[in-house]
Amino acid sequence: MRAEIHYLDNPEVFRVNQLPAHSDHAFYYSREELQAGENSLLQTLNGSWKFHYSINSEKRPSEFYQENFSSDDFDEITVPGHIELAGYDKIHYINTMYPWEGHLFRRPAYSLDGKNPAEGSFSQTDYNPVGSYLKTFDLEPGLLGKRVVISFAGVEQAMYVWLNGKFIGYAEDSFTPSEFDLTPYIREKANVLAVEVHKRSTAAFLEDQDFFRFFGIFREVTLYAKPDIHVEDLWAKPYLKEDNASGSLEVELKMSYLEMPGEVRVVLQDGQGNVCYDQVEEIAEQVHLMPVDISSVTPWHYQSPYLYTLMIEVFDKAGRLIEVVPYKLGFRRIEIKDKIILFNGERLILNGVNRHEWSAKGGRCISREEMEADMGTILENNINAVRTSHYPNQIPWYYLCDENGIYVMAETNLESHGSWQKMGQVEPSWNVPGSIVQWREAVVDRARTNFEVFKNHTSILFWSLGNESYAGDNIEAMNRLFKEKDTSRLVHYEGVFHNRKYEDTISDVESRMYATPEEIIEYLEHEPKKPFILCEYMHDMGNSLGGMKSYMDLLDRYDMYQGGFIWDFIDQALFVTDEITGGRVLRYGGDFDDRPSDYEFSGNGIVFADRTQKPAMQEVRYFYGLYK
Amino acid sequence: MDYTNNDGKQPEEVLQLIYGDCALGIHGKDFHYIFSYQFGGPESLVIDGREWLYRVPKPTFWRATTDNDRGNKFSLKSGMWLSADMFIDCIGIKVFVDTKEIELPLAPVNNRYSEQEKAREVKIKYTYQTITVPATIVEVEYVVSISGEIKVTVHYHGKTGLPELPVFGMRFIVPTKAVKYRYEGLSGETYPDRREGGIPGIYEIEGLPVTPYLVPQDCNVHVATKWLEVYRNTTLNNSVKQENSFGLRFSGVDQDFAFSCLPYTSEELENATHQEELPPARRTVISILGAVRGVGGINSWGADVEPPYHIDAGKDISYSFSVLKL
Repeated sequence: MRAEIHYLDNPEVFRVNQLPAHSDHAFYYSREELQAGENSLLQTLNGSWKFHYSINSEKRPSEFYQENFSSDDFDEITVPGHIELAGYDKIHYINTMYPWEGHLFRRPAYSLDGKNPAEGSFSQTDYNPVGSYLKTFDLEPGLLGKRVVISFAGVEQAMYVWLNGKFIGYAEDSFTPSEFDLTPYIREKANVLAVEVHKRSTAAFLEDQDFFRFFGIFREVTLYAKPDIHVEDLWAKPYLKEDNASGSLEVELKMSYLEMPGEVRVVLQDGQGNVCYDQVEEIAEQVHLMPVDISSVTPWHYQSPYLYTLMIEVFDKAGRLIEVVPYKLGFRRIEIKDKIILFNGERLILNGVNRHEWSAKGGRCISREEMEADMGTILENNINAVRTSHYPNQIPWYYLCDENGIYVMAETNLESHGSWQKMGQVEPSWNVPGSIVQWREAVVDRARTNFEVFKNHTSILFWSLGNESYAGDNIEAMNRLFKEKDTSRLVHYEGVFHNRKYEDTISDVESRMYATPEEIIEYLEHEPKKPFILCEYMHDMGNSLGGMKSYMDLLDRYDMYQGGFIWDFIDQALFVTDEITGGRVLRYGGDFDDRPSDYEFSGNGIVFADRTQKPAMQEVRYFYGLYK
Repeated sequence: MDYTNNDGKQPEEVLQLIYGDCALGIHGKDFHYIFSYQFGGPESLVIDGREWLYRVPKPTFWRATTDNDRGNKFSLKSGMWLSADMFIDCIGIKVFVDTKEIELPLAPVNNRYSEQEKAREVKIKYTYQTITVPATIVEVEYVVSISGEIKVTVHYHGKTGLPELPVFGMRFIVPTKAVKYRYEGLSGETYPDRREGGIPGIYEIEGLPVTPYLVPQDCNVHVATKWLEVYRNTTLNNSVKQENSFGLRFSGVDQDFAFSCLPYTSEELENATHQEELPPARRTVISILGAVRGVGGINSWGADVEPPYHIDAGKDISYSFSVLKL
């Protein structure tokens, strides 16, 4: 199979040969490795790669994936990282406008009259930079002789992959893992991996988030080997019963195997190591362990994030242990009763914050230490919820939320703001995804991936369909997907506010952004259909966050007002060396000759870009502390 | 009036007055103040030999535009106050000695006085007229008592037709940068609509921090303050090589006040698009405020600050505070 450059232009092509999305469980070769925290099945490909930058696809070294290609004139680049921050392409911040505003006239394929496929829109254009990455590697011993998969945790925005001269696949959706099976082409020594990353594709219409517009391999790249019998997917469904003291556990597994499989043993242990569930089942491609009652469980919630350990042990026919899968789970229950969101039976109050992944050093390439620092700040200031605005975050973040009892609104990677709102006015004449059939699968796939990867995280209470993308049949289809897949969580989307036609089929909650206290009262006083939350409020740009009391008072007045998420956690600004003083300074939109821009609108955090807390934080700590 | 007693004890402390041609000097035990006629305000407050004024204090009407102000076009509506903040005319001066108004002692009226003029209390009242359209009046009274304490009473005359104020108060520019300040009030940076989380206490702030918002803007206001002490260890006096820390105290009179203590004026902050564009910090700008507009937060592209936290320029604003040595 040959890679086709016009994938970039076609909204119906967004994954080619990609492995199906699956749960983010870790897996180990043995109990010993699990205990030691080592994993011989993994091999990182982070680090130095060879790299070439081209301004458009026509100028790219299109044969660079060939094994005999001479890459002598390639540079070196560090993976993960943004290509712009490595100095190749202009750094650009822009909010709602598409980044080509004023430079290029573009309409999404099949928008307006529904007929124009907009061929060449991204593949034949003067400016659509390409990063050509090459990595040569030998397989580490733990991976030898096994099925080998490559996992890209995040690549912005469209990616072609080759191994040893063979086309492996293509992926979009910048913020979820893209995985490909390398087994047919991989060898022990001197593998040549070629990754061609395009700054923009049709995905650009779906990734119009209010942030710096970067491209490149900005999250980790990992090879993993599958043991011969492997848990491909895990869906553990712990259920907390109405009494908040007992529960049940249902487990579904998807398995793959190269040899005769034996049994799988699934054990759940509480925090003290007591076994409260122990099931054995014969391995098949689908293993379904029907719900089993657990007489006594400790619920998981904010300030008491009690987690159980699920341990899956996979045996072959001879009874040898082949694979070990641990996963931490909590028992909790979220539901709507009498138009009120209940968490473990009590009215839920969201003392939340929106969080972009951000580092003043690395952009959206953030470290484990930065995540932990953020979690510390969140806990210190009585924040109980995070919306992953506006895309799936790095996987470790969800584990941190599980462990720390932070409620998560898990947002799908979707924002098409510039396609329906122009200069502040609703103008959806060429909105995507809208109801355009050719755009449906691309967004449904994003929802599916979000669900499949993160479904086991106790911390996730809401699936969010995305941000500011208007409403149409396609977002309705995303809503339907989550509802079909997962009855245990709520679905959130704000955009129906702008298109009430879909209010009965999209979103379990009435969600608004920046509604005034009076507007909230107006809704709640007039036969409200759904509980009300603010997916964004208290816009903390610069010296702001005044008047929070007016919102918090509503919590006492209306049970159906259930709080919200402050906009937002961290200022988006970048450290640069001041050209005049030589000092380290923070720069924002427009500081890189990037035009058009929305300038300082990138900085709305309750922490500064260097992660120090803004003075307004004491107000957050106080009010959220009152409603813990 | 005779300020010496007749029973042979130490002379009672009094204020010595120097009726200059251009300024009124007031001398006390460890202080010397000069109230200028030509510059329309106190020109010198020397305490224990150290100067506390760089230029005469004036009323202040402007805060550096916050992102929220910009978003809701507050600056477009109230920008008139920016020029009022920079340029203001002193249109009247009155002097009261021991509560009695005297003929303004400009030359040659002052020829009637001697080198032995004394008083228990002197009040100098400056009247300012803004360059706004319509114009309005601000009166500032300085009452100097024997101890050297200065009671400052500020009265803004509301005027219909003027746009809402961002802030109102008195701005003191001190010759050198402070090393720290202490105050009794609320923790952190607080505004009328963002003060619930402030914890009452006594706080000491090292250096003269400017809150590093991406775009420099009004910052470090502290509402509900009982007193403020500002400490320095430098002067501009070339004959003094080294100084120990010395301070000045502002106290609310009958009511709390708001303040900010920064190395910059609101105009300096207003002009910078980044922190690094601010000039080197070399002075201390102390704003003792009688009214502060809230910061808002509903959004940053149009929503106004909530109504209770606006400053209606049509209404009078009055407040008092005292200035004294530490």
